[in-house]
Amino acid sequence: MKMLRPNSKTTLYISNKVFRYAITIFIILTLNFFIPRMMPGDPMTNMLGEGARWMDKAYLDELRAEYGLDRPLHEQYLTYLSSLARFDLGYSINKSLKVKDLLMERIFWTLLLVFPSVIIGGAVALILGSFAGFRQGSMMDRLMTSLLLLLYSSPSFLFAMIMVSIFSFHLGWFPLGNFASGKMHGASYVLDVAWHLFLPIAILSLFEATYTYLVIRNSITQILGEYFIFVARAKGLSNRVIELQHVIRNVLPQFISIMALNFGFMVSGALIIEIVFSLNGMGTLIYDAVISRDYPVMQGAFLVLTFFLIAANFAADLLYGIADPRIADAKDSI
Amino acid sequence: MPNVENMSEKWSSSLDIGKFRKRVCASPIKFTGIAILVVLVFIAITAPLIAPHDPEKTGIPYQSPSADHLLGTNDLGQDIFSELLYASRTSLVVGFLAAIISIVIGVSVGLMAGYYKGWIRELLMGMTDVFLLIPGLPLMIILAAYLSPSMWNIILVIGLLWWCSTARVVQSRVLQVREMQFIESTRALGYSDSYILHKHVLANTKEVIYAKFSLAVASAMLAEASLSFLGLGDPLNISWGEMIHFAFTRGGFANDMWWWYLPPGLMICITVLAFVLITMESRKDSRLVELI
Repeated sequence: MKMLRPNSKTTLYISNKVFRYAITIFIILTLNFFIPRMMPGDPMTNMLGEGARWMDKAYLDELRAEYGLDRPLHEQYLTYLSSLARFDLGYSINKSLKVKDLLMERIFWTLLLVFPSVIIGGAVALILGSFAGFRQGSMMDRLMTSLLLLLYSSPSFLFAMIMVSIFSFHLGWFPLGNFASGKMHGASYVLDVAWHLFLPIAILSLFEATYTYLVIRNSITQILGEYFIFVARAKGLSNRVIELQHVIRNVLPQFISIMALNFGFMVSGALIIEIVFSLNGMGTLIYDAVISRDYPVMQGAFLVLTFFLIAANFAADLLYGIADPRIADAKDSI
Repeated sequence: MPNVENMSEKWSSSLDIGKFRKRVCASPIKFTGIAILVVLVFIAITAPLIAPHDPEKTGIPYQSPSADHLLGTNDLGQDIFSELLYASRTSLVVGFLAAIISIVIGVSVGLMAGYYKGWIRELLMGMTDVFLLIPGLPLMIILAAYLSPSMWNIILVIGLLWWCSTARVVQSRVLQVREMQFIESTRALGYSDSYILHKHVLANTKEVIYAKFSLAVASAMLAEASLSFLGLGDPLNISWGEMIHFAFTRGGFANDMWWWYLPPGLMICITVLAFVLITMESRKDSRLVELI
């Protein structure tokens, strides 16, 4: 019987989260539906690009009927939802390809860029942040904090451009553009991709680390001032035990939720970094779509990115429940 | 006229150099931030007077830095240094106005959600959570791409989407404040909710709101820089981000003309840093950094 109680609470916690995420997804889908229809100008132009302005009126009406834009809004909305259920995101205006196919091809590379950066950046931030937090006020702490603060306040593309200019243009250590040199297989292919991705991942990881570092350093300072640390010291526990078992354990839940929220920040960062490095991922796809005003591609990309974000946050919420047992117990969770 | 004398006495005491020095020494980091901003605002206001050239006048393109053109010229032969000075206007205005919008929304949502319990709070915080989950930059890109590229649209887009973290911070502060004894006493005295909210709750969250405003300007400027870098900026009001965009797309970056893209980048960096520094108290700087 004792096992049943926390279990039912955990299910309640999870189902509550699932409900919230379902609403979030619904709102985002709706937003995505209304954006092209609410914006100033003809939705036809919004969906077909600037070219629609010079098209024949009769042809436009025909197209409008084909896209169902002449029907009442709620019918359009239902069609939109049912086509989404079939993973149909429409056609790209410029590339005359299915948006779905375009995205499938690109998302893998962006994730390949984002995931290692999230993990490396998080680990670096946790280590440096706890180091600085425990030795607050030391030379090391001041140096690292001011350096990371400077990095935090510089736009990601500027930092990336400087890095590219130094390491790729001048020193020639790393290649530019593309994810691989091509014509390679097996282990050498993997190494080649790793070589191509080293610089972008390093830059993204550093950017991830800046914010997380500040948060961790901060929460360690706060925890060190808590009463239970004072008690642990009074008990005669060594600094090492206090730091690892009492402080870091209490930082973990916050660390996880920060990582999840950062995922969105990272996706935005990856988009910009891809453009600077001219890597063919989601970022360059969105960039090209922006330049040619390819609205279906932009909206499809937005939806896919949002779904990955939601998935990451959901995973973090589950982890959070494990890392901090008090959360599942609390009646009214954040 | 005793009144005037009193006034002048007050003035002189508040302008007392010794006192001022004391305050600067108490939090040197904060005053560094303020000093940088004063200089930047001065540059922005007096740009037409201190700029050596008209930033729109064209000439010989792609010149290297020289005595006449301190930072060389761009692809149209315009003086980059003058452009840099003028661009501070757009960048600062966008940052300030977008931050004002986002703070107004964030503070109202946070105040309401923190003060009222029940469904109002559930609804508002639920909404904030939804907005926090939407990837900010991609949504801003889409909106900015649909709207015509103007400074005002960028201000609106950033301001209307960047309020979530303010709402959360304000809400958690209000939750603390509303549990304080004196709020309960005021309520027991029969004062209305709106009176308590304005007079007491807001007054006690003031500090958080000021800090958050400064950070909101910083992040709005970074968001504007990213949007402009992607080519979504206002072509009539060049900002620092847009200067980098042009340097990047028109050969400045590929040809290693660092004097074209580095100065505007550093200006963004310095300005954002100044806004972050203002929020720092020197003894416990850790407290407010978390607001970022």
